[in-house]
Amino acid sequence: MTALAFRRDSKPDFVQEDFARHRGSLPGAGLAWLDTRRRAAMDAFAATGIPTRRVEAWKYTDLANALESELEPATPFSGDLDEENAFAASDAHLLLVNGFLHRTRPVDGLDIVDLGALDADAPDWVKESLGLMAAGRDSPLGAASLALMRGGVAVRVREHATLHVDFLTPPHDRGAVSHCRVLLVLEEGVRLSLLETHRGEGVHQTLANIGMELVLKPGARLEHVRLQAEASKALHVTSLGARLEREAEYRALYAALGAQLSRLDVNVQLAAPGAHATLHNVAVLNAGIADVTTVMDHATPHGTSRQLFKSVVGGRGRSVNQGRVVVREGAVKSDSHQLFKALLLSPRAEADAKPELEIFADDVVCGHGTAIGSLDEDALFYLRSRGIAENEAKGLLIRAFLEDAIEGLANEAVHEALWQRIDASLTSLEAGQL
Amino acid sequence: MLEIDDLHVAVDGKEILKGITLSVPAGEVHAVMGPNGSGKSTLSYTLAGREGYEVTSGRIFYQGEDLTTLLPEQRAAKGMFLALQYPVEIPGVVTLTFLKTALNAQRRARGESELDAMRVLRLVREKATALKIPEDMLKRPLNAGFSGGEKKRMEMLQMALFEPKLAILDETDSGLDIDALKLVAEGVNALREPERAMLVITHYQRLLSYIVPDRVHVLAAGRIVKSGGADLALELEKSGYEGVVEAA
Repeated sequence: MTALAFRRDSKPDFVQEDFARHRGSLPGAGLAWLDTRRRAAMDAFAATGIPTRRVEAWKYTDLANALESELEPATPFSGDLDEENAFAASDAHLLLVNGFLHRTRPVDGLDIVDLGALDADAPDWVKESLGLMAAGRDSPLGAASLALMRGGVAVRVREHATLHVDFLTPPHDRGAVSHCRVLLVLEEGVRLSLLETHRGEGVHQTLANIGMELVLKPGARLEHVRLQAEASKALHVTSLGARLEREAEYRALYAALGAQLSRLDVNVQLAAPGAHATLHNVAVLNAGIADVTTVMDHATPHGTSRQLFKSVVGGRGRSVNQGRVVVREGAVKSDSHQLFKALLLSPRAEADAKPELEIFADDVVCGHGTAIGSLDEDALFYLRSRGIAENEAKGLLIRAFLEDAIEGLANEAVHEALWQRIDASLTSLEAGQL
Repeated sequence: MLEIDDLHVAVDGKEILKGITLSVPAGEVHAVMGPNGSGKSTLSYTLAGREGYEVTSGRIFYQGEDLTTLLPEQRAAKGMFLALQYPVEIPGVVTLTFLKTALNAQRRARGESELDAMRVLRLVREKATALKIPEDMLKRPLNAGFSGGEKKRMEMLQMALFEPKLAILDETDSGLDIDALKLVAEGVNALREPERAMLVITHYQRLLSYIVPDRVHVLAAGRIVKSGGADLALELEKSGYEGVVEAA
């Protein structure tokens, strides 16, 4: 297989070659502050290259091996999106296609900057934050998304607002990779309800490589719902860094509902006292890999975090949940809990779960748990003996399994949309291997 | 209504029921009594069609139809109901939602129209009141955190709601205090009618003081060893299973 070519990390890969060839023509090239950050990010990427299982944080998810061929950089979409792709209809405030900002609807209280057109006029709030959370040692793809950033969007939230960001990957005629970044800065005390959707179609392999940075100023509150459902040949990596200042609150519900391989790397810094993060993840798949890997960094006292990950895996699907909780020296009264649960619906389904705790402070409460199992036969028989047919009974039990990860984390409309999408995934599970 | 003919059942390759023959006509209540390990639960699970209970020979006729190849949900739609000894807790499924889903699934399978949420609610409320089931229990997840008595009352509520033609009550008396037992028995007695048959499976005679059976069968080591009238239950209570089984 050609993929083997990428396994030798001594040799530059197509990501590094892209940088060497095009660094002078990337958006904002020549801006000293950005050039420096891109250069550092490419160095960080080059230390591992495209990750194989030999990279510890990627040991369950072999991205290099999943690549079928070298990928060309994606270009902005030039045709008529709505006409050519029925599925492309979007009423989102921000529509990104192939990682480029394609359409914007103005929203009161938001400042919006197109990162694909960065120049010397870039506002200070962009310069202050863009890319600072990109180059973690375990996040080579996140680093690449900055080094090779060709598009994306920066948003400053000055007033309470609701925002929908829609990412679309239309069909390509050959393998393509997009590198894109999103920066969200929530000013002090504001609330944002963010819906993030990822959709894609096509028969050729695409890699959407997205770097996200969320900056929550003191007392800011972000409610984040992320819905990722892409084509069966899609590769998807999002590297998300969130920095929470004093009393800031981040509540997230992530849903992984389809791709050949999806990886969500989350790094949350509880950077000032009293910050709180809730991360819930739901994965429903019957093929491919859905990987969510988190680092919850309790850096200061009185931080609280809750993580609940639930996977329903059928067919030959595989879910990966890794969660590292770090409580740094002095971060007393930290309170953290994480729970990973997976439901396996077929003999070839697989779930890997790896919780980790690194505690360097006293007087903390940290808990974690893992449970992987199959549907409860007693419950299934009970429902069937009441007249509910096998597949409907399984659907009820699966919904019940997912319910507590979804309840309370989305407004009603989003909640409905999410259940619709999950029900569609469950239906395809039932049709297949359930 | 129910005709069991020389039924042999194996679980994990081990024969548990070794030739049961039993007939329950419409309008009658029959009790099956037996010591632990005699095959009582195997009989009820087999009648309900649970996977893993393999009918190795013999047949079960329900309303003249051979049941053995029907799925549990098909049996339910045809009017069979099994009240379980240990009703299963299902966190995440609201009781009322479950009742509506089950009732409509049965109706659909019978080619009847589905009932809307309001109709179901009214129906459930009416039946729940008679069983002293408070409204808030209907809004809680099915059986989750319910006491033993509450679970059994929930089984009786389902029986009242589904109006089965054949009800099988598997150790419905276990874990009940005397008040709950009376309440459950009242629920059962209210459903006695000429078109309905019931099979009450129990270890103790106690329940049969409140639900007086037409016939009593003694199950031991996978066989019916003795049958008789309601008095047989009292005899068992007095002389114990050993005496009766040995005499048979």
